Amino acid sequence: MIKLSAISKNYHTDKVQTRALDNINLQVDAGEFVSIMGPSGCGKSTLLNIIGLLDRPASGQIEINGQLLGNYSDSQVAKLRNQTFGFIFQSFHLINELRVIDNVELPLLYRKMPATERRAKAKAALEKVGLTARMEHFPNQLSGGQQQRVAIARAMVGEPQILLADEPTGNLDSQMGAEVMSQLLALNQAGTTIVMVTHNEQEAKHSNRIVRVFDGQLVQ
Amino acid sequence: MLKNYLIIAWRIALQRKLFTLINLLCISLTLLVLLVLTALLENTFQPTGVEGKSPRMLQILTMLSYNDERGNSRHSPLGYKVITDYIKPLPSAELVAAVSLPESTTVYQAERTTDLLMRRADAAYWQILDFEVLSGRVPSAEDVATGRFVLVLNQSTAKQLFGQQPAVGQKLNVGGQQFEVIGVVADVLQLNSFADMWAPVSTYPSSDYQHQMWGNFTALILTRDAANFTAIKQELATAIVDFQFDDPAMWSDVRIWADTKLDIFARMLLQNERQADSGAATLLMIISALMLLFMLLPALNLVNLNTGRMLERSTEIGVRKAFGASRQQLIWQFLVENLLLCTVGGLLGLVLAAAALEVIESSGVIPYLQVNINFTVFALGMLISIIFGLLSGIIPAWRTAKLDPVHALKGARR
Repeated sequence: MIKLSAISKNYHTDKVQTRALDNINLQVDAGEFVSIMGPSGCGKSTLLNIIGLLDRPASGQIEINGQLLGNYSDSQVAKLRNQTFGFIFQSFHLINELRVIDNVELPLLYRKMPATERRAKAKAALEKVGLTARMEHFPNQLSGGQQQRVAIARAMVGEPQILLADEPTGNLDSQMGAEVMSQLLALNQAGTTIVMVTHNEQEAKHSNRIVRVFDGQLVQ
Repeated sequence: MLKNYLIIAWRIALQRKLFTLINLLCISLTLLVLLVLTALLENTFQPTGVEGKSPRMLQILTMLSYNDERGNSRHSPLGYKVITDYIKPLPSAELVAAVSLPESTTVYQAERTTDLLMRRADAAYWQILDFEVLSGRVPSAEDVATGRFVLVLNQSTAKQLFGQQPAVGQKLNVGGQQFEVIGVVADVLQLNSFADMWAPVSTYPSSDYQHQMWGNFTALILTRDAANFTAIKQELATAIVDFQFDDPAMWSDVRIWADTKLDIFARMLLQNERQADSGAATLLMIISALMLLFMLLPALNLVNLNTGRMLERSTEIGVRKAFGASRQQLIWQFLVENLLLCTVGGLLGLVLAAAALEVIESSGVIPYLQVNINFTVFALGMLISIIFGLLSGIIPAWRTAKLDPVHALKGARR
């Protein structure tokens, strides 16, 4: 499903060049739940961003569903992100000016889908995370846990094949974190491939496989 | 998608009230000034109503007499004799009117005196200009020929002098002469028709005016159509080749130009008194350039504001990109937001301009002013505000839409 070959990534700050990822080879199969772990600054979020096509590698190849992404145009990459991936971020990244229902509907806006269908799907997604009653609220009227559940609803509304979660429980207390994890597990059991960056060993144990990154390299 | 963009644009506009307010004020105040200015300019250069025949009218406001060898120069309104001897005989002119510039005159009534502006005109004046007669009549050719002391007042003056009483038929002492009011016309503020009252030219206390080369007169020349302007100008140039001064030792040359209203202002402002070209084209270019410059400043300001606003929304851009928005779709989204603001700003500008013109008219700051919004200018203004929207939106939209999603999500400003 996802195949990274010899991926490297450098960051340039003024005169200093930092190697964030160094010759990464990784394969994630359909239906897997993979956790990426490692100390802060080791490159795990960079790896997740490259998998999700949010960032471009300096070198190496990315294959998604057997398709090699070479010189994909901006609109082709956008379409691929929309139809293949769902994202959950540590700080939720909900749009505060939009109501909960509009936030959840967002990925469907970039598909040719009638407004009524979009609305129905967004409602169904909110129902799954137990937030139907809050759909007319704005994000800043919700607790952190509720916001992350909205983010999960947004990530799954388009029924993506792959869900990428960057420390999804990082900003939540343990009880809310547990709720979010149980929802991710339910999605994985329903067939969604999940790649999650986490610092939490307990949460990582729920996944099928743990990938460890240290100084930009994979350590098994 | 468009509906969605509009809804989001509307919500964002409501959420960011200060930015929306600044943006709207920027656009609407610019349009307000442009609309008011063009309404005033149009009223001056292309009047309707009383001076509605202006498109086929030339006029001579002043003449320049000089003798360069002796260093003599005199720039003054025309003497009546210049009009009768050199302008009235022009073959291509349909009608030529002589009218004095407004002269300050004192009106004596039983218990008070009133200072008013008065013009004295010949009969052709009343034929060329289409005054709206509210009661009575305007002077006839016979009134002028026989020197009858008849007087026409405008509505405000009639009310000022006689209150609610009918003015027509009333007797009035103007500067020591007894006149009878024969008509009341609507108030008007235009170049040749502005005055408080009018009398026949033949009512001057002395007939000296008939023999003067320099005086207080202007000439209005009506032609069949604007195509005759060139012929008239040529005929005038030929007619004044043998211009006869009273004192040829003092004066050797004369310059008299038959101009349109725009030409008159251009000649006056650009001081092109000695050449045939009034400089109207240059004046129009200067006005257009000033207007464009006037619009450019808020446009640049908006570009700046929008860039800041959009970069503030970089996380939103990152999220949208992560969930499948292409660069093109983001650019469209921001453009729609901008266009919506600019359109609302444009409409607000129209309402403000209409209100401002109403206030200017009713305040009496400019007496007898009657101006309307020019809808061609408004359409142009709306078009320009849409171009504003595009220009001030496209650069920031392009800059922000090309942010890498990962940088945008981190709130990066590059």
